[in-house]
Amino acid sequence: MLERVLTKNWEKTNSHKIETYMAGGGYEALRQVLTGGFTPEQVIEEVKKSNLRGRGGAGFPTGVKWSFVPKDPSKPKYMVVNADESEPGTFKDRYILERDPHMLIEGLIIGSYAIGAKTCFIYVRGEYYHPAQVVEAALAEAYRQGFLGNNLLGSGYSLEVFLIRGAGAYICGEETALLESLEGKKGWPRLKPPFPAVVGLYKCPTVINNVETLANIPHIIRRGGQWYAGLGPPKNGGTRLFALSGHVNRPGVYELPLGITLREMIYDHAGGIRDGKVIKAVIPGGSSAPVLTAAEIDVKMDHESVAAIGSMLGSGAVIIMDETTCMVKALARITKFYAHESCGQCTPCREGTGWMLKILRRILQGEGHADDPDHLLAIQGNIQGMTICPLGDAAALPVQSFVTKFRQEFDYHCVHKRCDIESACAVPA
Amino acid sequence: MSTENVSAIVEKHSGARGALIAILQDIQSRYGYLPADALKIVAGQTGRTLVDIYGVATFYRAFRLKPRGKHLCSVCLGTACHVRGGPIIAEEFGRVLGSRAGETTADLEFTLETVNCLGACALGPIVVVDGHYFSNVSPVKVKEIVDQARAGLDRVEIKSDQRIFPVEVSCPRCNHGLMDTGHLVDGYPSIRATLSFGREHGWLRLSSLYGSFNLESEYEIPLDTVVNFFCPHCHAELSGALSCPECAAPMVPMIVRGGGIVQICSRRGCKGHLLDLSGIQF
Repeated sequence: MLERVLTKNWEKTNSHKIETYMAGGGYEALRQVLTGGFTPEQVIEEVKKSNLRGRGGAGFPTGVKWSFVPKDPSKPKYMVVNADESEPGTFKDRYILERDPHMLIEGLIIGSYAIGAKTCFIYVRGEYYHPAQVVEAALAEAYRQGFLGNNLLGSGYSLEVFLIRGAGAYICGEETALLESLEGKKGWPRLKPPFPAVVGLYKCPTVINNVETLANIPHIIRRGGQWYAGLGPPKNGGTRLFALSGHVNRPGVYELPLGITLREMIYDHAGGIRDGKVIKAVIPGGSSAPVLTAAEIDVKMDHESVAAIGSMLGSGAVIIMDETTCMVKALARITKFYAHESCGQCTPCREGTGWMLKILRRILQGEGHADDPDHLLAIQGNIQGMTICPLGDAAALPVQSFVTKFRQEFDYHCVHKRCDIESACAVPA
Repeated sequence: MSTENVSAIVEKHSGARGALIAILQDIQSRYGYLPADALKIVAGQTGRTLVDIYGVATFYRAFRLKPRGKHLCSVCLGTACHVRGGPIIAEEFGRVLGSRAGETTADLEFTLETVNCLGACALGPIVVVDGHYFSNVSPVKVKEIVDQARAGLDRVEIKSDQRIFPVEVSCPRCNHGLMDTGHLVDGYPSIRATLSFGREHGWLRLSSLYGSFNLESEYEIPLDTVVNFFCPHCHAELSGALSCPECAAPMVPMIVRGGGIVQICSRRGCKGHLLDLSGIQF
């Protein structure tokens, strides 16, 4: 049985209170770092050793990201926690924020110490009103205990944390758009380079980490990077939260080792497909990840293996679709999301998502042309790689994968002017 | 809309750089939308151009430039909710309410909107009405949800919500207990106070359940009115130094038995409150 690292407190009563967290050894890692003579360099070294990779979607090694921050003391440095969890299908961070906010807070303090930040912002998506309240209360508890504020535990290190609520824009989960939003502007992504580690919030060095990423830090410090690395396959340290949703019997958040197969995840953990139906497709990493067919579910869920079959692990949001799902409708829905959330800055994304949606709607209304699937492929090909931020790719990749892998359904719609799946027709687009 | 209220909200955030979004959020939680005049005041006070403020206000989905209905129904159409039948639920809401997504009913009671993903995908299809989450919604439940919203969801849910608990309070001046065991609200002894607003002056009974905002009073208090609270024993006004984090009206402090202090907003309809149990012995 796998050891649960991130979810171990979730079933405890009052798991969000500081007493519960401290009774389970919470804030000992922080004490170890601040009073045990850990230098920031040693913290970064330990995190590098752990092979922890960012849990927001890109999977960048966290220790390496931290080491990019210049040591130059002339400018303030900022730590930003990305809790703008908005990708359809993703809901793992919500559980951490609501059930174990102190694990995140301890992690962000250690992270801030490692990069020399004296100010930290937690950017919570606007829709997460209740999680934001839980975190706000947890921050107050941490201040009272002296884990935040001036001169933490007598170490001379000080840290202020501010919780900022977003206002409903998916794009603000992109790190540079998030920084723009924090500065009180429209969330328009910035060109990179320069990277935020050098020129970030208010033009100062800034590290942006996902909630789950930081929640891992206390465990890495307490038990060592080597132990953490050993929990997963090579280059993929630790366990991972997978958010399973869609047509499974037991949807929910599961803490599983990286490298487990999709099949095990769906049938052994989530109880299989609901109503005894047959699985048709799986989106393995949030709605932007290319879809996998039922034949591909023996893939190992780690960054390299999923990438090898042309998809991505992304945010670990697994959406399972059974045989009743009309892939044209599902894709139209995903595309509608990206067309709505495109920030409008780059033409290929702003216009392309709109055109793809128009074509998909036309197909669904029985007015599709025989060459519409090819049109879709051509348009998405003109978006991919042509935009400032990855939202363009996120909109293009589902179109590419749905149309390529389920071509017969798109063709059927275009030729017969109707859906070939009776039950799914009942779902309006 | 009053200029002073908006000014006070902007003032509250004046120390923080980049606080525009927080300012707009506060204005919206006060008025339910962003009135054009309020945006002009924000522009004037922050020194940013009106078009800049308008750009931000229209970029983020949470902001509205038009008034919305009393009850807000958001039907999730994220990918996971979509494959579990979200669109059928959205249609049913449209049918029951007689309005389309993005519209407000003619009686200004309900606004229906569809949202992209609320991050509660395991429970789909998800519907959020007035901040209350409904999971695994089926079309037959829609009418029921709408009826519950009409009746007031806070009132309906008290029995089942574990986070709600009763408190016993006393006057911060004379320390006399304010509990009235002879007058129950929500089935618990109520908190007794005297209130005044405008020319009215009469009794008030507040629910003692922390998290419930139910109350009974001698005079109907119009929504948005700021009222003054008085201790029925020493007749001192219950007032403190703090202003409401939500709407900037004065907060009303009361001592919680066992240690600590609870503060509630003096504005009718505002749910701003603070609970500090620092001194409490469990």
